[in-house]
Parts: sequence; C-alpha cells; structure tokens
Amino acid sequence: MATDEREQVGKIYAPRPYNVIGKSKPRIDGREKATGSGKYCGDLRMPNMLYGKILQSPYAHAKILNIDISEALKIPGVVDVITSKDAPSLKYGLSPARYDENILCIEKVLYVGDKVAAVACVDEETCYKAIKAIKVDYEPLKPVLDYRTAMNDDMPQLHADFPKNINTEIHQKFGDPDEAIKNAYYSSTDVFVGQRTYQCPIEPHSAISSWKEGKLTIWSTTQTVHYFQHYIAREFGLKMGDVRIIRPLVGGGFGGKLEPTGLEYCGAIISKRTGRPVKMFFDRHEMFAHNRGRHQGTYEITTGVDKNGKLLGVKCDFLLDGGAYTSLGIATAYYAGGLLTLTYDFENYEFNLRRMYTNLPACGAQRGHGAPQPKYAFESHLDNVADALGIDKIEIRRVNSRQSDTVTINGFGIQSCHLGECIDKIHEVTDWEKKRKEGLPKNHGLGVATGSFVSGAGYPMYRNDLPQASCMIRVNEDGTAATLYTMSVDIGQGSDTVYCQMAAEAMGYRYENMKIVSGDTETTPHDFGAYSSRQTLMGGWACKRAGEDIKAKILETAGFMMHLPPEDLRCEDGKIYSMSRPKVDSITFEEAARKYFIIKGPLVGTGVYSVPRLGGYFKGAAVATSPAYSFCTQAAEVAVDEETGQVDILHAWDVHDAGQIINPNLMKGQVHGAFTMGLSEAVSEQVLFTDAGKIINPDLANYRVLTAKDMCTFSNYVIDAADDPAGPWGVKEVGEGANNPTLGAIRNAIKDATGVSVSTLPITAEKVWRALREKKEAEASK
Amino acid sequence: MYLPDFDYYAPESVKGVSEMLLEREGSVILSGGTDLMTKMKNGLPVNGMAAPKALISLKNVHRMKKIEYVKGKGVVIGGAATCNDIAYSEILHERYNSVSGAAQSMAANQVRNAGTVAGNIVAAVPSADMPPILIALNAEAKLESAKGERVLPLEEVFAGPGRTVLERGEVLTEVVIPDQAMTGSAYFKYALRKAGALAVVGVAAALQMEGGVIKDIRVAFGAVGPVPMRAPKVEAFLKGKEATEDNLDAAADIARQECKPITDHRASEEYRRDMVGVFTKRAVKKAIAQGHN
Repeated sequence: MATDEREQVGKIYAPRPYNVIGKSKPRIDGREKATGSGKYCGDLRMPNMLYGKILQSPYAHAKILNIDISEALKIPGVVDVITSKDAPSLKYGLSPARYDENILCIEKVLYVGDKVAAVACVDEETCYKAIKAIKVDYEPLKPVLDYRTAMNDDMPQLHADFPKNINTEIHQKFGDPDEAIKNAYYSSTDVFVGQRTYQCPIEPHSAISSWKEGKLTIWSTTQTVHYFQHYIAREFGLKMGDVRIIRPLVGGGFGGKLEPTGLEYCGAIISKRTGRPVKMFFDRHEMFAHNRGRHQGTYEITTGVDKNGKLLGVKCDFLLDGGAYTSLGIATAYYAGGLLTLTYDFENYEFNLRRMYTNLPACGAQRGHGAPQPKYAFESHLDNVADALGIDKIEIRRVNSRQSDTVTINGFGIQSCHLGECIDKIHEVTDWEKKRKEGLPKNHGLGVATGSFVSGAGYPMYRNDLPQASCMIRVNEDGTAATLYTMSVDIGQGSDTVYCQMAAEAMGYRYENMKIVSGDTETTPHDFGAYSSRQTLMGGWACKRAGEDIKAKILETAGFMMHLPPEDLRCEDGKIYSMSRPKVDSITFEEAARKYFIIKGPLVGTGVYSVPRLGGYFKGAAVATSPAYSFCTQAAEVAVDEETGQVDILHAWDVHDAGQIINPNLMKGQVHGAFTMGLSEAVSEQVLFTDAGKIINPDLANYRVLTAKDMCTFSNYVIDAADDPAGPWGVKEVGEGANNPTLGAIRNAIKDATGVSVSTLPITAEKVWRALREKKEAEASK
Repeated sequence: MYLPDFDYYAPESVKGVSEMLLEREGSVILSGGTDLMTKMKNGLPVNGMAAPKALISLKNVHRMKKIEYVKGKGVVIGGAATCNDIAYSEILHERYNSVSGAAQSMAANQVRNAGTVAGNIVAAVPSADMPPILIALNAEAKLESAKGERVLPLEEVFAGPGRTVLERGEVLTEVVIPDQAMTGSAYFKYALRKAGALAVVGVAAALQMEGGVIKDIRVAFGAVGPVPMRAPKVEAFLKGKEATEDNLDAAADIARQECKPITDHRASEEYRRDMVGVFTKRAVKKAIAQGHN
C-alpha cells in the first residue's frame, strides 16, 4: 500500500497478554508464493497425464439432437471423448432441495457455456482441436434472458419441476410491518438495481483426476475439499473414504470455487476409462462462461420511520436472476434479506423474494454472498430517508444501531456488537463534523455505510451432524517442530497462517516452528472449508483446543521433569517455568516434548468444534445463523468530474468490530481487498450479454476489474474489543463483512458530491454524466 | 486459445523482410506480437487471412529499434521501438513528452515492453493511442519495401478499421516527427479505468501560440471514427483566435459535431461525442499551459 501521508493506521488495539496472536507474523506460505516455488494445480504434472477440456454450448437454450464425436477421435493425440451417455445421469448441485445439474447435458443445454462433451488428449493444444471437431446438432429454442419477465406465460419453462421459472420463493414476515409503516412519521419506497458480476480469481479453475484401483484422487482448485469429496463420491456411488481431494495452492476463490465444475467429474470419468491421470482446465473465457458469480437483482425497499429516523417497519421485495441452475442460489436468496436485520434494530419486517431461472450462466456465492447488493440498496435508501427528514447521515445510523446481547427480529442472537462505537469512530476519523459544517470542495462527496456478516454459517450445506471443524497437532519427536493438520482451505486469505498462530498460542509454542498440512481429505481431520467467513472462528476453536490438549500433556511431562505440580507451571513462547518458584530453572518446550515421546510415544493433540443449535423455527430460519457477527462502518470521499461523470476515490476509512485480531496485517489485507472489490463492483464491473445470451466481455481487458492505480489511500481502525464468547479469544470474521458496506458508502459519496442518485449498478461515469445532464436540464426548464 | 502452426523467419534487413513478405503466401510481419498473437490465439483474421502461414519477425532488423534526433529532419522513431522505449526516451521527454505520455497510457507494463509503435499504427485499431498525438504533431510514416520506399503523412496510412494503405511487401520502418513551430502538444486518453483500458475517446492537439493567439493548430481524435482522424473544422475555427473560454467552448462544440463515434459496450455515441468536446478543450488548454509536456 502507498505510503501516502494520508495513509494512517489507527491504534489497532490495546496490548493483550499474548505471545503469538495479535501479531503480524509473516505468512507461512509467503516465501513460496513470492518466489514461485509454490505449486498451484495448473503447475502440477503427473507421469502419463492427459489434458482435457469441456465442450461448452454455443446456445443459450437448445435441444441436443445428435453429437458426432467420430471426427474428433480421428485427430492424432486425442485419447478419449465422452458425452452424457458415458456419465452418471444423477443430478447434482449444492442445495439438496434443488439438485438440477448434470455432469454433461442430456437433452437440452440451458446457457451459453453449458457442458456438452469432454475430450482428453496428449497435450493442451490438441484439446482445442478436438473440441472444435465434435459435431453437435442443436435445435435452438426460445431463450429466457430477462429475469424480470422470466415468469411470463409466453416464456418457456426451463426446469420441469419449477413452473413460471421460479427457482426459489421466500415470504417471511415478523411483526406487523404494514401497520408500522402506515403509522410512521415518514414512509418511502426506493428501487435499486444490481448488476451481474464475476469473482475473477486470478487462478483459473483446474483439476487433476486419477482413478485407479477403485480409488479416486483429485487435485483441485477448490475452497472446500469436504464438499467436493461428498458430492463427487455421491455422483459416482463411491464411499467417501475412497475419494481423496487435495488442494494445492489456490489463487483466490471469492465463492467461485465452492462447487464441482464438471472438470472434476469429467476428468474422473475419463481417468477411469483410460487408466491415466487427467488434467482438465478452464481458460479465462471458459471461466466466465461457467460463471457462478454474483446474482443481479432488483431491490425494492419500503420503510417507515419516526421523526428521528428510527426504523419502525421495513418491507423488502427482491427479484434475483439465478441463471440456469441453482448452484448456491438458495442460500444467496435467504442471505439477501436475512442479513439486513443485523446492523439496524427494527421490530417489524417483511421479506419477499423470488429467484428466477434464466438461460444465462448460473449465479452462486460471491464475497459477501447474497448481502452486498441488498445492503447497497438499504444504505442508499437510508441516505434518501435522512435527506427527506433533514437528518445527519451518521445520526440516522446511530439511532438505529444494534446493541450487544440482542436478538434480531428474524432470530439471530448477537452477543457482541460494537457498531455504535464503529459509528462514533468513523464520525471522528473522517472529520465528519467539520466537513459537514464547512462543506467539502466543489464536486467532492463523503458517504458512509455500515456492515455486518456471519462468522461462519451455523449449518452445513447438506444436512449432516458432523462438527464444523476439527484439528490435530503432532509435535515432532525432538520437539523442534509441530505440524497442524486440518481440512480447512487456504485460498490466499491466510488461514494457514492464522491457524498456526492460534495453535502456537494455545500450545505455548513458537509460530516460527509451526508447519501445516491442510486441505487434504486423506491426511487431515474434518473441516467444511473456506466459505461464509467461517474458518478463523470455527477452525480457530479446533486449533485452540488441540493446542491446549498439547499444552496439558507438555505441562504434565514438565511437572514430572521439574518435580513440580503441572498446575504451577506455565508454558509460553516455548519456555516452561514455575509460577511460584521463580528460582527453579525453566525448561524448554522441546525438552518436555522429547521426554513425552520417549515415555508415551507420539505427542498429538486434537480439537473439535460444533455449533450449538441456532436460529428460529420458521422456514429458512437456519440460513444466516452464526455463532458471532462482525460489525463495521466504512466511509469514502470521492471527487466527481462534473464534465465526464468520472468518480475519483480520494480516501476511504474502515472501522471494524472483528473481535480479537489474530494477524493485523492479514486483517488489513482482507479489508483492503474487500473494499477494492466492492469499489470495483460499485463503479466498474458488469458481465454483459448479447441478445443471444453470450457474454460480451469474458476477459480481463473488457471485464474491468479496477486496478491498483484506481485504488485510494486507506485508513484502518479496529475497535478494541474481544468480548464475544462465541469465538476463540473472541475472534470474529472479517473477510466478507468488509465489503458489506462498500457499495452503499460509494453510492452515498457520489450522491453527496453530485446531488444525483444513480439507482443502478455499476455507477459508471456515463451514468453519472447522464444524471448530471438531466439535472441541469431540469434546472434550466424551471 | 492455442496458436495455430506457422512458419517463422527472422531476416536481418528490411529488404529481407520485404522479400519474404512478397515471396510467401499468407505471411505477415511479427513485431511486438501483442496484437497479432492474441488474434491468432482467438482465431481472429489477420490482414483478412484466417490464419497467417508465416510470421516474419523484425527482431533482427536492429536499425528499426532506434529513437534518435536527426538534425534537419526531426525525431526519428524506429518502427520497432516499443511503447516503453517511447515512454522512457530522453529525446522524447525533452522534445515531445506528450508522445511519451501517450505510450505510457497504454495497456500494462508487459504489453508496453513488447508492443511497438509501428504495430500500434498498422494494426489500425480505431482506439490506438499513438496515432492521434503523432498525427497532431504532423508525423510522417516511412514505408520501405524491396522495390523502393515512400513517405506518407501518418494520417494517410489508415484506410479503415484494421486496414492500412500498406502494400504487400511494405514495412513501416520509421515515424518521423518533423522539426516544427508548434509550441505545445497534449494527448488525453479517456478510458474507464486507470490502467489496462482502451481509449473511449482520445484527443490530441498541437499548437503554436503567439501572444495570446493560436497561430496554428492541429487536432486529432482517436476511438471516435473508423480511423484516427484530423479535425479540420476545429482547427480552422481556432486558427488566429485567442484562447478564451468562449472560443474553446465553441471549438469543443465543433469537435462534438465533427467526430464520428459509435455506440458499443464501453460507451454510447452520445457520451463519446460530449467527451470529445470536453477533452478537445482540455487538450488545447494543456498544450497552451504546459508546452509539449
């Protein structure tokens, strides 16, 4: 980050008596990633390995009449070609209530990019030739391309069990919002529209499948080895134990690597047929076609408030474009309205939503899951309400702010919430009072918004009673190293690093001596993986408990060695000493560990974490439950060029209540990344389609993710609190909640700068230019 | 997304390159390759051919990589000088920093290290960043072949999107910015992010100030017509006028009328027209205020 004079890092938190956590330890995988010695899936080569690709549909909606693979098989170097006849016909997905996808399409293709056939060849180049040589006869059908009209009678029905193309429908009501809004001092309705975005992880998806001697091993670019193991075993009728999923280094996921893509399934089938390992991969265009990015939607919000802006009743009516399949969309749908109750406390709430099937690529989970666009709509609406009532934008958030030890109207228990302090702090650090009083330079604007997110989903994706997380630590025989084993997945966010910090803290050991084996279903104990910002809290408990297990064994051995009761001993930073007898010589962790091994054998500690039952009893009550919730505020200052409409972001602030911070630098990295991603979604990114449903901009030149040059200077602040009993040492999440307020803060800053509201995302320069021109014309005609 | 097979040659002289081009059916020049390789990988036509059969590399033609000042002639930029060569050229920093700035505004560092000025011109992409500023500075293009050579004003090299007047066997070997009386020049690239983006609108101006009066001016647009284009009406209007706000606003309005933009997924025609006006004014002001910087 630039060392601009405006960059300031607030006092992160008061010193705590910890040796390892709360410190910016270097990333455990930093060196291998920086030097390039670390291996990602695309770098791996197996002896005798084949390369494979999937033939994607050129039509948004079509019947497959015939597939002729004979020409493709004649090409030298083509080893195998498969179609749906060679694959299990069992439908799969992520939400058991909506398994709606086949490994390869059987009768119809449902989007441009849908999976038609797969090839395996001796090299990559031949794959492209083979794909081209497969002759498919399609009968094009009328496509459903607009989610807003997808339920009309003249639209074809895409899935037999879902009339009117409604994939998911939600109707939740708490209290009496109609009455509350009717009796309110002020009520209003706003409609905002979000766009379709794509995660764009820098590493494309790939998988190497090797099926031999009845066992299937897959190296995969995945965020979750457990679900891959479960879903892939289910599809092939294998025991979970006969499927091994291994995660090499992963170059970003952001929700786009949560479900098997077809690369794993097709590779597995071909590997079984040929007896050779098969590497299947997407290029950038194919990644975009496969998609599973953020849903686009229309968000209507009605609220009634008292004269201070206190929310009395809230009604939300949302419509989402889900694309051709369900993917993670049911969770997205529930998150969209479910999480709106977190930051602001109101007692009457109605949430209606429909998620539509269309002939566009399926949408799934993208950083923040279903929440960022609805939150953008809500924060924008709230600023409009404040404007109408003449209330300060921070004040309206303060009067509605949630408190600790409360329960949301939809049943989420909140034990720690320091949102009020976050609001006070953002008021202070942005110099809000002065800027409001004296005004900003012309065409400058300041916007603020709040955010919150789950620290891990309370329930797994498919029904099961497994604990959320577990962990095992084995100390080396001579005590000079300890290896942590966990099925959690580091996708670049740094979980391997913070896990080792937490384990070392709990063991009384040194971080520098820690090793980690993670993301391998055969060598590591169960964890659900990297999604819903769950790993630091949930996996953290497992690390802490496994570490404490080791520590207890170490102290017992040390007590024997030092002739003192274990309860009189402390083990910190690799040293063991007596609390009551300071003159007794201390011994080292290494010495005690070595002694333990000689007497008892392997020094192993284990830890496990299960979530207590959470949430209410209404339909959908389980989604968005969590042991703990993060809270934050963000503010952004922008300058708008009134001639071009270009938005230049000058500076941004983030104040976070994320509980105990394990690694301040990694935490700041998450906030910067989340904010940048949110900024990019707010003003730049959009997946565009032709009127035949084909993506116009499936590449990094035309799908404009903002660059480092577009990012502003940034100030991070953290509320000094670690009081949530639901997290180990009071930790809470940061990875996804940090983009929860971003879109709203940016929109509000642009509105503040220009006086115009652009109600569709992204807020491009051209849209701002148009709105400014319309405003000018309206003023001129007065 | 794979390169089709092709033959590869790297002759050591322009004559050798030209002869190869003439002799071999389906051959094209490989310079930086930043445009050619992507087109070939994506199966897009190159010079009207589905897939070139032979690539003739310029990498051994060393004289084409130089940037030098030749007394009595001007700044001579070799056709194979890369965008970064231009961005970091001290000769250009001193004389026409506006040209260096245009090169610096392109793509990403890796692309600027490979892509060349001749490539940026002969690819004839309407949004290319080098042509507008070079045209405004009255640059000439030298075309050499085994049969001889000719020199054209740069603006006459373009024949349409992706098309030039280069004949088979001709190589664009030099771009010359002649010594001139222009006192200032500026290029504004308007793009939708700060790096790695194509111009939505590009406006270049070069002018000669005398007293407060614009004695001479050349204005060129990129990305708002099928080829990089001069703006003769804007030039005629401003010539001999004082650079007052009113005059510049009037010139901006003429620019809005004179350009020929289209609507695509980056911007609408309407928006591009207005931006041409905005940036024409800004380019003229900058050229007045900052000279060639």
